[in-house]
Amino acid sequence: MARRSRRVAAGALALVGAVAHADGGAGEPALDGARYLYVLRCQGCHGPDGAGMPGGVPDLRGALTPFTRTQAGRAYLARVPGVAQSPLDDAELAVVLNWLVDGIGGGAAPGFVAYDAASVGRLRARPLVGVAAARRAALAGADAD
Amino acid sequence: MSAIDRICEALARDVAGRTSRRGFLARVGAVLLGTGMLPLLPVARAQHGAPQGAAGGAASNEPDAAALQDPTRCEYWRHCAIDGYLCGCCGGSQSSCPPGTEPSPITWIGTCRNPADGKDYVISYNDCCGKSACGRCACNRNEGDQPIYVPALSNDINWCAGKGGDIVYHCSTAVLVGLAPDGAAK
Repeated sequence: MARRSRRVAAGALALVGAVAHADGGAGEPALDGARYLYVLRCQGCHGPDGAGMPGGVPDLRGALTPFTRTQAGRAYLARVPGVAQSPLDDAELAVVLNWLVDGIGGGAAPGFVAYDAASVGRLRARPLVGVAAARRAALAGADAD
Repeated sequence: MSAIDRICEALARDVAGRTSRRGFLARVGAVLLGTGMLPLLPVARAQHGAPQGAAGGAASNEPDAAALQDPTRCEYWRHCAIDGYLCGCCGGSQSSCPPGTEPSPITWIGTCRNPADGKDYVISYNDCCGKSACGRCACNRNEGDQPIYVPALSNDINWCAGKGGDIVYHCSTAVLVGLAPDGAAK
């Protein structure tokens, strides 16, 4: 009973925590470019802090740095279904990916080449299907398919 | 034979003399068929484009200012893309789940314009899960909704599926996440 109460309370707080504002108000700052794009097109599954959902949506927190060490890892991040099939365009995705790598994801490894619209467009044109296998390969530095 | 019997016999013979079983059945059949076809007639149905359901009865095409700011009304400005039952009518509110339910960790997010200040706000439609459907204040606005082949933008997905065993949908909230940049509403 106590455990369920804590879960319910946490769930309620999670909802309330997402409400940072009254019902629209003068003078409140707008969400900035990268964060706005993340909130609108990524937060729905990855959550406001990138925690995702166990068993379904990967936790991004501190988890992206390993992918920035190799070309395969860099490619993987732009080919996962959530990116490849995103309603965002290539330029917007580049902004969000770089923002995630630099922030929630834990920071880019030395030598990492930031995404741009052209590279994202090239990579997402080949979306991954066997994501788990591709992930293992990418972390091992090997290109997927 | 009693008097009643004689009267009934006379009436029956009179009716039989003027009608046929086949004719009677044909007329009854026509009435039944015609009644059954009434729903197919091109009568005016619910107004297209107006929000369905919620308190206040049938919605007009021009929602009044009070309805636009009332979280229990389908016309509430935050409900522009909602699809489900309003948690405000189900024991919760536009930003909290009713007792006995939990918010789904995955959600549909979009922007709605607040007529009070003319600005676009990011709204997260967190579903509340774990109890059978509320059944009150059904509201299907669906602005920006896409078919299932764009899953991130589809309201037809059961967003309660993210809760593991608690996949029963109860109602939808409309949580205000933040102000969208000018001209950036999607």
